[in-house]
Amino acid sequence: MITRQLSIAIPIFIIIFVVQEAVIDQFRLAGGGFSLLLIFTLIWAVLSSQEIAAIGGFIAGLLMDLSPSSSGPIGQWTLLMIAACYAVSYLGSGNESLSGNPLGLTFFATSTVLFIEIAYLVTSALLGVQTGSFGQILITLFGISIWSLVVTPILLPLFSRLHAFTFNTRSAI
Amino acid sequence: MRKGSEGRSRLLLIILIVTALFLITLDLRGVGILEGARQGTQTILSPFQRAGNVVLTPFKNFFSDITHLGRTRNQIEKLRADNNSLKTQLANRKNADAQLDQLKSILDLAGTAGFKVVNARVISQGSSQSFAQTITIDTGSNAGIKKNMTVLSEFGIAGVVKDVYPNSALISLATDPSFRIGIRIAGSQQIGILSGRGNRSASLQLIDNLTDVKVGDILLSRGSVANRPFVPGVPVGYVTAVDNSAGAIAQSAVVHLYTNFSTLGVVAVVVGAPVSNPGDALVPVKPQPTPVPTITIYVTPSPVPTN
Repeated sequence: MITRQLSIAIPIFIIIFVVQEAVIDQFRLAGGGFSLLLIFTLIWAVLSSQEIAAIGGFIAGLLMDLSPSSSGPIGQWTLLMIAACYAVSYLGSGNESLSGNPLGLTFFATSTVLFIEIAYLVTSALLGVQTGSFGQILITLFGISIWSLVVTPILLPLFSRLHAFTFNTRSAI
Repeated sequence: MRKGSEGRSRLLLIILIVTALFLITLDLRGVGILEGARQGTQTILSPFQRAGNVVLTPFKNFFSDITHLGRTRNQIEKLRADNNSLKTQLANRKNADAQLDQLKSILDLAGTAGFKVVNARVISQGSSQSFAQTITIDTGSNAGIKKNMTVLSEFGIAGVVKDVYPNSALISLATDPSFRIGIRIAGSQQIGILSGRGNRSASLQLIDNLTDVKVGDILLSRGSVANRPFVPGVPVGYVTAVDNSAGAIAQSAVVHLYTNFSTLGVVAVVVGAPVSNPGDALVPVKPQPTPVPTITIYVTPSPVPTN
């Protein structure tokens, strides 16, 4: 069962990754833009069980690590995404105010994006990866948060339906 | 049953985390397979990026117009009268002209120094989720581009080739926090190291305190062994602020980079450089004020008519 679901999920993750790299990154969005794959994976994790969320985080993190523009070592995003998706799924399981409420889910996904980016900065500092001046980091963090807040509610119905399609469940959002 | 399910999910979490840590360890130890995986990803992505660039160019121009709405209000007012097809035509033409201007300036710069360059179009900007500043260009090793080659914009240094693929290359921009370049100050020949800070201003650390650096001093690339990663004499930026703290071991300064990284459409990769150093020949010429002609009118009073 899980193999069949993953065989559907993996191409979806890959397509979203390609869209991010070939389309979203073409627009030089102010403040650093947003990460479609990151938002999708977090929404996916909230709606999934902890096992599926962790595997989804692993796939998404690996793709983000393989992105040529990624500056850290391969595995850094993977590690962060596994932990984040597992935690998000743990907090979201059985919590209807989160998984069944678009507004709550939007704020939750946005704050998690911000939290993951901060965690990336901390792990980058530990691994010796250069991340830029303090001012620029603040601008990027602010920009990514604002973009995520704007984009998440727009994409939420699509991502929710993709999740429902993969797991043969009724879309809750 | 519930306990068994929780145990299984925790075991899976541990396995995945150990795998991620294993990958980090392998990558930090420089295992070639992982480096190849990233290169393979770019090779697969570059046709998609190329197609995306072609399809999205009109939309990008449209959004660019919206972004600059405040600054180009008069121009927009004038264009409002035009029909949609003319607008599209104009946007495409503007894009082509801008790229042509950039290319002309790059060739002028490279020609003055005698650099052999390969021109390339920017097809993608790297995602800033990792706080890195990169771009992808549409030419690669098939055009003779190799890793650690200097990348020029119309104004000077744009960056350095970070990775090369058959038909594309990843450029680390001069704004990237990991970017470092040896520079010398035009005129005084004082040397130092310039570091990217994530935006158009970079930080300069001079090697010694023998001469004072001044606001307005122009920085040129110092050049590397065999001209890689940097060819000598290329304009980098100019000093905007100097930190002359009494206790500092070496002088430091803030530098404004010449290249406008938000409008990079065309760049040139230096694939060959002359043996001789161009010296200060590429220092940008300061704009000369156009002399205003003075018109002197002599008025001679006509003789008063006498009655």
